[in-house]
Amino acid sequence: MSLELPVYLIDDDDSVRRSLRFMLESYGLNIIDFDSAEAFFPAVDLTLPGCALVDVRMPGLSGSQLHAELIAKNSPLAVIYLTGHGDVPMAVEALKLGAVDFFQKPADGAKLAEAVVKALEHAKAHYQDNQYLETYQALTPREREILKLIAQGLKNQEIADNLCIAMRTVEIHRANLMKGMQVASLAEMMLIYGRIAERLPLE
Amino acid sequence: MYFRLYYRPLSAIKNHPMHRLPRWDLLAQYGFYAFCSIVVLVLLSVLFTGDAMAKPQDHIEPSVSATSIPLVAKSALADETSYQPNYGSNDASNDQPNNELIVQSNNESYAVVDVGVLAIRGYKATITRWQPLMRWLETQIPNSYFRLHPLSLDELAKGVETQELDFVITNPGQSVLLARQYSLSWLATLRSPVNHGAAMQVGSALVVRADSAYHTLSDLKGRRLGIVSTSAFGGYLTLVYEAQLKGIDLPRFVGDIVPLGFPLDNLLYQLGGRRFTAHASPNIASMNSNVDANIDPNVEQATTNASPDISPSIIANPDSTLVPDLDLNTHHEVSQAAALDAVVVPVCQLEQMQREGLIDIADYRVLDNQAPAGFHCQVSTRLYPNWSMAKTNRASQSLAKSVTQALLALPEDHLAAKAADSAGWTTAVSQLAIDQLLKDLDMHPLQTPWWHNAWLWVKSHQQWAWFVLGILVLLNVYHFWLEYRFSRRGRELLNTQRQLSENRMLLEHAQRIAIVGELGASLSHELNQPLAAIGHYCHGAEVRLQRGSTPEELQSVLTLIQQEVTRADSIISRLRNLMKKRPISKVPCFLHELIQDTTPLLAYEFERHQINIGIHITGTPYLQPLDEVGMQQLLLNLLKNAADACVQQRELMQSEAQGTAQNSATHQQRYTPTIDIELDYQQSQILLTITDNGVGLSSEASQLMQAFYSTKLEGLGLGLVICRDIVDSHSGHFKLDSAVNGGCQVQVSLPRKADGVL
Repeated sequence: MSLELPVYLIDDDDSVRRSLRFMLESYGLNIIDFDSAEAFFPAVDLTLPGCALVDVRMPGLSGSQLHAELIAKNSPLAVIYLTGHGDVPMAVEALKLGAVDFFQKPADGAKLAEAVVKALEHAKAHYQDNQYLETYQALTPREREILKLIAQGLKNQEIADNLCIAMRTVEIHRANLMKGMQVASLAEMMLIYGRIAERLPLE
Repeated sequence: MYFRLYYRPLSAIKNHPMHRLPRWDLLAQYGFYAFCSIVVLVLLSVLFTGDAMAKPQDHIEPSVSATSIPLVAKSALADETSYQPNYGSNDASNDQPNNELIVQSNNESYAVVDVGVLAIRGYKATITRWQPLMRWLETQIPNSYFRLHPLSLDELAKGVETQELDFVITNPGQSVLLARQYSLSWLATLRSPVNHGAAMQVGSALVVRADSAYHTLSDLKGRRLGIVSTSAFGGYLTLVYEAQLKGIDLPRFVGDIVPLGFPLDNLLYQLGGRRFTAHASPNIASMNSNVDANIDPNVEQATTNASPDISPSIIANPDSTLVPDLDLNTHHEVSQAAALDAVVVPVCQLEQMQREGLIDIADYRVLDNQAPAGFHCQVSTRLYPNWSMAKTNRASQSLAKSVTQALLALPEDHLAAKAADSAGWTTAVSQLAIDQLLKDLDMHPLQTPWWHNAWLWVKSHQQWAWFVLGILVLLNVYHFWLEYRFSRRGRELLNTQRQLSENRMLLEHAQRIAIVGELGASLSHELNQPLAAIGHYCHGAEVRLQRGSTPEELQSVLTLIQQEVTRADSIISRLRNLMKKRPISKVPCFLHELIQDTTPLLAYEFERHQINIGIHITGTPYLQPLDEVGMQQLLLNLLKNAADACVQQRELMQSEAQGTAQNSATHQQRYTPTIDIELDYQQSQILLTITDNGVGLSSEASQLMQAFYSTKLEGLGLGLVICRDIVDSHSGHFKLDSAVNGGCQVQVSLPRKADGVL
């Protein structure tokens, strides 16, 4: 279940951090806390799914800087902001960056727990996507090309014509494709392609 | 919003310089002026009364008239006449010289000559001694009547001054004093009957009892010394001079000097030793001894302690002299004998009394006898010229010439010479030795007449004296008027000052509120943190209870909540102190604790702008009386200023970076806003330095310290003014300067004060 996933709590104020941990643990969440972003980064594998509860204002790296770093590293970690007294521009900025939610302290425990669970789901999906993307990137350029054409709804003959290759060659590529993507059906492969397509760099 | 009128306690007002002024100087000033006025007024009143007195005197002619008899002499005469009948009724001694005197004084056909004589051994003894000389002069100068006036030292001087005497016969000390003050011509000096008729026969004998342990003058340290009078020449001054030549300051050397006054006989009696009553002597002292022995000890007390010179109580008891007590040789110990250790008498006094049968010379001893060979009296000092006779201004030259001739013609063995205990008269002897003595004793008449000259000047320049008085009176009036106005102004000033200090209080308070307002975000953050924590703990506990946790498991959370409540409370009370209106009160505290208490109020502010703050404390902390709220306000103002400067600097750099549009990241990274608080506990002062690396000073420091001058859009321009005020109230120094790194540096030095002393 997603509840097993780690929730990283990063806040410089000891009492707030400890009280949040106490509250969230009562919801059965797996909390790991840090008093600064600098302590967080070396201790955590950013490629694994999880949730980061981040205080916006901290000495050293701030919450938003931490978030930016995570995005830069394409980490599946989902970010929830916590703030002493949030204002609208700050919240908008945070959500634009892709934060899952934005909470003002004192946060309502139930809503926060709910948001954390949602964030974990989110993170898991993000992690999955990352996995698919990795698989996709392991394909040969010809295979990626054929996959794109398949997604466009072309038949094998049309693909062969389009690429000026033999029909037989297209079929071999297609079989390799199915194997590389670790999917059983064309429909499943199309579903995955649809999810990763939006995150693919424009070609 | 309203301000309640707020009174600062008196103690605060007392710190004002006006109150530190000691009012004594004003008092002294008043006193001086009053003194001056009084002196001038007294001077002038004397001037007028003196004039009034002087006028009738001008009309007194130096001739004989009923009114011209000197006051003293008159009283002496009155005494004489008053007891004249007594002699008649009690005794057959009608042929006493006194009777002649009275009878002849009424005779208008004679030229009356008044002769003043210093009465050293009492009135009667003086008459006895000098009356024969008067008779001799009368026989030598036809149609003259010489009237004898036995007088004391002061009376003699007064008699000469008021021109009521024609001639004076006095001892050498007196003679020099008189001669210097008044115009006197010396006619003749008395010759001693012994020592081949030498004219030098005045000096002192320092007498002790024969059985005493004293052998020289230096043995008398701290003892009681009896003398006749401190102005007596033969009886005292000569000995003082002799002692001075030996390096002894006599008045300080001996323990106590007791002036017993005339007659001299008393001195020896007081010293002790046997006393004999001599019936033949007309001496007043012998009368006394009779009184002592037979009548009433109280009378003795009265007479021996009576004032010097001619004591009425002595004279009023002539009856008792006639108590027949002739061969009794009363041996009488004087009760006060032990009181005196030594006495000073004129030379030959001892021998004279021995001759008169009053004492036994074997009972006494003279210290430091230095009588020259052939001199038959014992003497402790060198000898000075004998008694002399002088003429005053009143006597005519021709009379003086006749008198001088008569005196010189007096045979050695004549009754008049013998009665005066002399061998006739010789030409006047030089008074130089006496002059020298008086000068050395600082008693010379010429040494003190400055006031006299001044007095004469004032008298001759009356209009100027008036002018000066007028000016002084005017100045006084003006001065008091000024004083009155000054004190009224002073009160007004004090009122204004009190109002000012009240206003200052209000202003400070308003500024504190303003800072708290500016700190709003920071404060709400600080308060929000513990409240959030409490909320989280509560929610967590609630959820756990719902999920089956036991209350025991959750007990520890309550402690955590309590901690958070305490934290919130401390922030609130810190704020409450800052916003309270209250009088300035200084309590001993550690400045660094105050700083550590204050910085949290700004922590959020620093965090928000990512300003690094460093606190460095050096030296050994000690307690210092501080106005806590004031110091907090000072710190808040300074730190807020520093933070603002840092933020401005960052914005400036950002806009520059955007302007160049290059290396914006490196620019921004390079700037780290920093505020350093350095606190140095030095031996004599506490030095607080707050340095920032912000934009630095935009104006002159002096301009920035002015009220209502601000470089900030929303600034009141009061922060620095109030800071300096607060530092001043701690008698410290406030310095605003540019820092080395381009920022601003504020230095506050507070002189160390003893622990607990406010």
